[in-house]
Amino acid sequence: MTVDLWMGIAGTMVIWVVSVALAIVFGLFLAAGSLSLHRVVHLLARTGVNVTRGVPTSVLVIVAGMGMLRISNIPELPYVYPGTPAAFQHIAWGIVLALAFGSAGHLAEIFSAARSTLGQYRLEQMTVLGLSRLGRMALLVRECAAVALPPTGARMVHHLHNTAFAALFPVTDLFGFVQGQSSSTFRVFEFILIGCIIYVALSGLIWLATRALEIIYARPVPGRAKRRVLLWS
Amino acid sequence: MVMNLLFGLPDERPGGLVLTIIYALGSGGIGLALGLAYASIGVLWKRASLALQGATAFLRGVPLLLLVFLTAHLAGLTTGSAGLLALSLYSFAHVGEILRSFLAAYPAHLADQARVIGIFPLWEWLLLRIPWTLRYAWAAISTHWISLLKDTGALVILGFGELTTVAKALGETPANYDRWGVVFALAATLYLVTTFALIQMLRLVERRMMYK
Repeated sequence: MTVDLWMGIAGTMVIWVVSVALAIVFGLFLAAGSLSLHRVVHLLARTGVNVTRGVPTSVLVIVAGMGMLRISNIPELPYVYPGTPAAFQHIAWGIVLALAFGSAGHLAEIFSAARSTLGQYRLEQMTVLGLSRLGRMALLVRECAAVALPPTGARMVHHLHNTAFAALFPVTDLFGFVQGQSSSTFRVFEFILIGCIIYVALSGLIWLATRALEIIYARPVPGRAKRRVLLWS
Repeated sequence: MVMNLLFGLPDERPGGLVLTIIYALGSGGIGLALGLAYASIGVLWKRASLALQGATAFLRGVPLLLLVFLTAHLAGLTTGSAGLLALSLYSFAHVGEILRSFLAAYPAHLADQARVIGIFPLWEWLLLRIPWTLRYAWAAISTHWISLLKDTGALVILGFGELTTVAKALGETPANYDRWGVVFALAATLYLVTTFALIQMLRLVERRMMYK
């Protein structure tokens, strides 16, 4: 049972990490597309944002899972998801893509909103600094981080909770472990409590990590900087 | 197929989108009522507030699917009432915290004015504080309700006849084997249209509240 529990936790963690990474990439693309002056790119990006925000993750996951189950010729995919049999790894990949797609629109909106808080003058300053495109991007991320991190953290906790939908298919995760053990041992509330505690602990860890990043990337407050200078002088 | 998605499978009506809306409205309403009670207790009694905040924080940390699974195993509950209870608890945990922070931010000068006029404290609470809180918290509550409408899809693990469950059932039938993509595309469109309509309605209410 302990091995199964650790496998469930590991499964959830891997699904979460991979899907969050993909969601951030998709979210950045959608945010960039939403800001594009090219009408078609803008329209496509806005459609993507609205679809991902308007359609429940449950539907996206079921579509991905059922779609993957019906594909006959599956190319060999990397074995990444612990506990999930090799024959079902492609289903796990499909579900991860669906989870990433489900959060991408929300993240795109967060990123766009964070960028808009910088204001036109600050954005123009970045352009005239003469940095490379990559350098400008890094500076933009650094400047937006303070505003974008709190809602991103909240979304990531929600995203962790959404990984439980993987249990609808033969993919190993924590919720699947709780369901399986509850059915086989009839000690339902004991396993639900274990599941609750682990999910709450994982949510807390995500929140703590976000808070730590918020502190690191906090925008300097002019008043505080002045006081520090006065203290030194 | 469209009729089934809108009203549920023939032997399980009401279902589909209609049941999704009924559940979203019901749980949203119960969540709001419980949230108002929680926010009032939290603001009035600081000691109780800490314990209650801990409990709601715990609830917010638990996935909705797990809450649905938990309520489904509570003795004496039908599938439908277990689903409604899980969604209501989920909604309460989120809305309660929103309302608590807004209720705590009620301006002191308004409270002083009410005291000077001599309004009975209970009436001041019901006629001034709560309407003020609802007016300013409306945008945040609206966002939660839109999310709640989509979160009803979590009831799929109960096999309960809301929209996602009906779409899954229709998609798995041999008759729709080749058309399962169409079934889910229709379900997704229904969710999109309903969400859009809900957003417009909530914005309208928000605008009216702000003009008053």
